[in-house]
Amino acid sequence: MTTHTTPVTTNGASTAANAGISVRGLTKVFGTGDTAVRAVDGVDLDANPGQVVLVMGPSGSGKTTLLLMLGALLRPTTGSVILDGVDITTAPDRHLPRLRARHIGFVFQDFNLLSALTVTENVEIACNLAGTRGTAAHRRAADLLDRFDLTHRLRFKPEQLSGGEKQRVALARALANNPAIVLADEPTANLDSSHGLQVARLLRQLATTDQRAIIIVSHDERLRPLADRVLWLEDGHFRTLDQMPIDPVCGMPVHPRGPHASHDGHDIWFCADGCRDQYLTNPDRYPLTATTPAP
Amino acid sequence: MTSGRTVPLGRRNLTEDTRRAALSIGGVAVALLLVLVLDGIFAGAIRQVTAYLRTLPADVVVSQQGVRTMHMSASALPPTTAERAAAVAGVAWVAPIWYASGVVATATGRQVSYVIGYDPATGRGGPTRLVAGRTPTDGEVVLDELGADQLGVRIGGRVTVFGAPHTVAGLSAGQTSITNTMAFVAVADFTRHVPRPASYLLVGARPGTDPAALAARLATALPATTVQTRTEFVDSEARIVTDMSAAIMQIMALLGLLVALAVVVLSLYALTLFKLREYGVVAALGGSPWRLARIVTAQAVWTAAGALAAATGLALLLGAVIGRVGPQISIVVTAPSVARLGVAALAASLAGAQLPIYRLARLDPAVAFRRQS
Repeated sequence: MTTHTTPVTTNGASTAANAGISVRGLTKVFGTGDTAVRAVDGVDLDANPGQVVLVMGPSGSGKTTLLLMLGALLRPTTGSVILDGVDITTAPDRHLPRLRARHIGFVFQDFNLLSALTVTENVEIACNLAGTRGTAAHRRAADLLDRFDLTHRLRFKPEQLSGGEKQRVALARALANNPAIVLADEPTANLDSSHGLQVARLLRQLATTDQRAIIIVSHDERLRPLADRVLWLEDGHFRTLDQMPIDPVCGMPVHPRGPHASHDGHDIWFCADGCRDQYLTNPDRYPLTATTPAP
Repeated sequence: MTSGRTVPLGRRNLTEDTRRAALSIGGVAVALLLVLVLDGIFAGAIRQVTAYLRTLPADVVVSQQGVRTMHMSASALPPTTAERAAAVAGVAWVAPIWYASGVVATATGRQVSYVIGYDPATGRGGPTRLVAGRTPTDGEVVLDELGADQLGVRIGGRVTVFGAPHTVAGLSAGQTSITNTMAFVAVADFTRHVPRPASYLLVGARPGTDPAALAARLATALPATTVQTRTEFVDSEARIVTDMSAAIMQIMALLGLLVALAVVVLSLYALTLFKLREYGVVAALGGSPWRLARIVTAQAVWTAAGALAAATGLALLLGAVIGRVGPQISIVVTAPSVARLGVAALAASLAGAQLPIYRLARLDPAVAFRRQS
């Protein structure tokens, strides 16, 4: 068994020595024959240490499927995912738990803290899974929680925390194994704007300070400014974001095949009928110049 | 890999909801209590049935050839046995006793009794502990105090023994069992009503004489008899009670353990399903199926341990209460009995954990990414 060592500074920050993640030709097909669905189709993606990559897209576009494959939780039909120089798609099933425990950090939309454990134990158990036990695990958990300003909540149960605190605990847990890559699934979806912004800044910090690769799957427009790259996944493919029209109401990039309206000679596309209806009630409220490039 | 403890998720999950934990552990505890109480009643019955034999002053007991017990037995020794035994080296004293199953009756009730005829002058073979009155003379009887209570007689009261009227001269203690009581009369009284040779010969060893060696010498000197040390005699008596009840005890114990198994399966499986998403999170974070199995196993072990502790406490309490309410019933909770039950409960709990473990082995960690409603 290899020894798992984690450099941790006094404030819990650590530097992940890694080469990021490289994805080539990643494809996942569910079903066979006429009922086959290509949830992810030939996706290429690179996330280097220090980078935040934001993957956006409509519901059912394949975002979660992509995330599961990047996290060694779902085996792709074809393609490769190179993490720290190792193609995780070819690793035997029995090696996948250890691979996740040692190389990947997860942040979930619903926080997914273990309700029976205290805040400290929620982080400590991730340390245990990564091979650190006893006092060393406890100390690392405490250091990480200190980094996220949760020292006053160490003995609290998840149900006693606010949403923002829960997600900070989840972030601390994601770092327990000093991962090369952190995969975050809608990390701000259940947070109000101030807590969402706080979590977004922390994710940015994890990339910049710790030199980790952060891949975020989200609908949240507030995350755009922190990302080094924003990718739009639709129908299993990445699309070039700057060539897509923007819904003037919600600001989402949209495909020029959805709900549509014309105003002052402009063709405008929306993510949903609701946004279109809202727009049509008061079109002048939503400037078009910067938000609706030609499709 | 560093050494040290890991977060006890299994135990935390088990005790997170105290009401659910109480129901799970309590359900198993009740099933174990059933087994423990049955075992305790059984052990108590053996202790009661053998109480007279265990407290005999004899080192060696001689009985009719082939007769190794007193309970449900009849023994008649050859007439010269006592004299021949007394001549054996290492024998300090010999005391024949007469024994018969009989009925002690009053005008209002009757009681199955083992009637012992003994020599009140030496007291050997008589009541273990006289708590009131005196030893019997001709036409008198010593009853166990519980038996006397049940018959509603006191010292000086009149009872019928072997169909003849007797006066209660004294009361003894600790010689009533769940099945019968004991009555003591003088030898002359016994043989007048039931003429027969002595049933057993109690033999005392000289100081420094090994009872087993003495028993061997007596066996050689008394060829038409069975010679046992007192310990062997008690063991034989206990064995016959065990043999008579073993089948039903085993069936009841099995039923109790099956109930415990069912409760363990239901509670652990329900808890596993309730926590399925969290187990998915643990799996996503790198928990192997083996690790998840260990979590459930820990829950099973803690359930068994908690239930065993609760059942033992309740059995002791029940034994104390029943000892006051119905002294003829004795519940004896012994360490070996608790240990045996602990092993059985652990085995049942581990067996009960297999279904949840099987469910977790098929768990898709991606469940952690599904949206909660």
